[in-house]
Amino acid sequence: MREADDVDDVDFRALVRARLEPLDVDAARAADIVDELAQHCAQQYADLVASGVDQRDALTRALAPLENRRRVVDEIARADRPRRSAPPPPASSTHLVVDLWRDVRYGLRLLHRSPGFTAVAVMTLALGIGANAAIFSVVNAVLLRPLPFADPARLVDVGEPGPDGRAGNVGFTTVVDWRERTHAFDEIAMIRSWYPTLIANGQPERIPAMRVSANFLRTLGVAPALGRDFAAADDTPAGWRVLILSDGLWRRRFNADPAVIGRVVTMNDQPYTVGGVMPPSFAPIISEHFYEPAQMWALLGYDRSQPFACRSCQHLKAIARLEPDTAIGAALVDVNGVHAALRREHPAEYGAATAIAVTPLADELAGNVRAPLFALMGAVAIVLLIAAANVASLLLARVADRERDLALRTALGASRGRIVRQLLVESSLVAWLGGLAGIALAAAVVPLVADLSPVPIARLATARVDVAVVIFALAVSFGTTVVFGLAPALRASRVDLQTTLRAEARHSAANPTSVARRLLIAANVALAVVLLAGAGLMIKSVGRLLGVDPGFDPDHVLTMQISMVGKAYAKNEAVVAKGDEMLAALRRLPGVESVALAGQIPLAGNVDRWGLHVEGRPVTPDDPFVERYSVTPTYFAVMRIPLRRGRLITDADRASTEPVMVIGDRTARTVWPNGDPIGQHVRIGGSDGPMYTIVGIVGDVRHVALAAPPTLQMYTAQAQLTDSFLTVVMRSASDFGLLAPAARQAIWSAASDVPVYRVDAMRTLVARSVGARRFVAILLELFGAVALVMTAVGVYGVISYSVAERTREIGIRSALGASRADIVRLVLANGLALVFAGLATGIVLAVATTRFLDNSLYGVSATDPATLAAVASVLFTVAAAAHLVPIARAMRVDPAIALRQD
Amino acid sequence: MSEDRELRKGSAETVILALLEERDRHGYEIAKLIDQRSDGALKFHVASLYPTLYRLERRGLIQGRWVERSNTRRRRFYRLTAQGQKTLEAQRRSWKAFFAALNRVARISHA
Repeated sequence: MREADDVDDVDFRALVRARLEPLDVDAARAADIVDELAQHCAQQYADLVASGVDQRDALTRALAPLENRRRVVDEIARADRPRRSAPPPPASSTHLVVDLWRDVRYGLRLLHRSPGFTAVAVMTLALGIGANAAIFSVVNAVLLRPLPFADPARLVDVGEPGPDGRAGNVGFTTVVDWRERTHAFDEIAMIRSWYPTLIANGQPERIPAMRVSANFLRTLGVAPALGRDFAAADDTPAGWRVLILSDGLWRRRFNADPAVIGRVVTMNDQPYTVGGVMPPSFAPIISEHFYEPAQMWALLGYDRSQPFACRSCQHLKAIARLEPDTAIGAALVDVNGVHAALRREHPAEYGAATAIAVTPLADELAGNVRAPLFALMGAVAIVLLIAAANVASLLLARVADRERDLALRTALGASRGRIVRQLLVESSLVAWLGGLAGIALAAAVVPLVADLSPVPIARLATARVDVAVVIFALAVSFGTTVVFGLAPALRASRVDLQTTLRAEARHSAANPTSVARRLLIAANVALAVVLLAGAGLMIKSVGRLLGVDPGFDPDHVLTMQISMVGKAYAKNEAVVAKGDEMLAALRRLPGVESVALAGQIPLAGNVDRWGLHVEGRPVTPDDPFVERYSVTPTYFAVMRIPLRRGRLITDADRASTEPVMVIGDRTARTVWPNGDPIGQHVRIGGSDGPMYTIVGIVGDVRHVALAAPPTLQMYTAQAQLTDSFLTVVMRSASDFGLLAPAARQAIWSAASDVPVYRVDAMRTLVARSVGARRFVAILLELFGAVALVMTAVGVYGVISYSVAERTREIGIRSALGASRADIVRLVLANGLALVFAGLATGIVLAVATTRFLDNSLYGVSATDPATLAAVASVLFTVAAAAHLVPIARAMRVDPAIALRQD
Repeated sequence: MSEDRELRKGSAETVILALLEERDRHGYEIAKLIDQRSDGALKFHVASLYPTLYRLERRGLIQGRWVERSNTRRRRFYRLTAQGQKTLEAQRRSWKAFFAALNRVARISHA
């Protein structure tokens, strides 16, 4: 039987179409109408010819009713689209808004009609934009948003540079001299951490607090909400016990009582006068150097006469406000000039000459997170690029699918500009929907990011999806649309009616739409390589780090901090005796294997370095600074720190016996490179302290971080060099959830006035020390997974589409005897070429970019071949798997049907 | 002539609905049947039939769908909906009443 609408080679569709234009219904509907009417005319023509009518007459008669074109068109349009209240403006209308509105409605209708495409495109963009918005909100909060102080750009840190180049700690007298002699600073304030014990309801609570110079709040440009600021007159060794409370502490412990001003509070057996309360808006971020945000502030109360106020007693942090219009460079010159003079005047008190650093306070607070955050910004940017490439590829596929429709619209009088606009409107709709969904996603995820972070990052908790983030996300969406919607739109506008309607053209491999899609997918694979390589390297680093031997056994060790301060503990003997009582009580707990006290422990953020001076050598400011641990004898057993030589500290080492010391391996090698340290005598701290005899050498521990090489270390006996701030370490196989409260009770049974705080498993402290890296690794892993899924979907889409495009070719091949294996090979060869191109490009890109991660990597090279190989094989596997469904589809191609397809 | 047109137009919908009551049909078949069964008295051509069909479809009285059969191009078949059935019965009743009245007044006998 013949095609009903293609009788005697008359193209009825073309004839009818020519008579129906411009038909003001949507393009798909117009095509249907043309089809239906063409069939009618064709059949009528065929019947007429069959009844003996001359062909020419038959054609004229079949088409005659359509000759009154205007009326026919109107009637059809009215019958089909009666709900239009006003007649539609002509297609050439300059009513931009009306047209735009129509395009938007039309676009929404199209999206609604293909829910699969819409869902995939919107979700893809939502992931890309959501990830960007989330990371941007963190970057914005931590790095970009100005500090909540007056004129924050003028706030700086001043001090000798630490290992990271930023300003470190300073001594009191040095700062006093800076204040007098420099001109670049409006104010220089000093701060230090402070942990007083507040006893309320019978339970001692240790309050994180700060001791600050009188000008501290003035330097920041803030003032108390209640009461008054600190007075310079009170900042003396006798008068410093004035408190300013945080809003939170005032509400929690003082019932928000305004009459609290002037009230006397007793802490550590000393009376303090409450002078003021800060407003709730005062975020005490300054204290985040000190692990926990401060809840109250008291004066520093130093003067030059005090031993701890010396020039080299570097335990204070200096925060300064620059004079208006003074650049950091000018301040640097000023303070370094003054400091060089001080160094000349007091040569014995300053160590090796280093330039004083002046760092913006905001940078100081951002600290080490700057580089990882920018790495994450890079990672999410890649996710977005992949998402955008995927969506562009989907849009191109849609354009290809709709070529007939678009060609028809063009034929029916739509201008090229209008077609471009229509498609841009459509891709904008996708982008805006994706952007909104992404913002919602970010809003849901950002609070979790703050929780996920294992290290305290200044201002991370303030990260939220705010106006800036929304603007950022919408701008990104808009940019995505322009870049990735324009290409398909322009491509579509060049659709040529003739070639398109002769469907064969679409099967040509040189079809530019297909080429563009294939390039996009190769780019997608390449970007995924970069992202996964970054993620792989970070994961490997974290793995390597966690595999590092910390020098002690962190498993089954519970730690808790205590402080024995106040009149009852004024004498060392009292502290030692009370400590022994606590240890006895703790040892009686069921399941406790061993327990000890230590002045500090590794990986807990403690720093307690003392100068070490060897007997018989001259004392210089450049003598080594050594990490000091004051421990009870069982400490080494609890921590399982191995003895290398000599002996450990024992119960026999009491206040009355000769002071002894155990040193770490590295101290032994560094201080006595050629001799035997055992039996040597050393002084620590100053030149007038007691002489310690070295009795043993133990293994080094990683004190600062797992990634940092061991520091110089020494151990003294708690009975001989007594610390009041101590950490209880206990080894037990018991569940810490049950052990911790029991241990707290045991401590309070021995000393009811001792606060217990910072209770952590040693394992937690170890994990926290790799926290920042792990945080980055987890996020990169997450983004990598997203990239992988998107790549799989993208490859799947392109390959399925190309199989569909080539159905006819596949049909011919199988008709000509190609085997199933040949067909599989055909599809694979087609897709894997793309994947390989992408992998190769990606590896080159990865080698070029992962070195930006260098600082965050540990024990693995930024171009680690094993990681790159693993990433490439994972991607290859995923991409190959994405071929399975299209291959299955290609195998089912029935030659008979394929050949008839147009 | 103009009465003739009005009458035809009014009856057109009823005729189409009645033809679809028997079974689903495509447009050309409908036109051809109307021509045959009315002995050429009622005639639809392509420009008048399809707007009527689209109007009926829009009002939910009939429903068109594309059907593909082996070896032919897809064709659009129309089916009478439940609502169309009801409307057809109502139209039949009112035509019957109209003819009865017409017959009583003008004494035209109808089959």
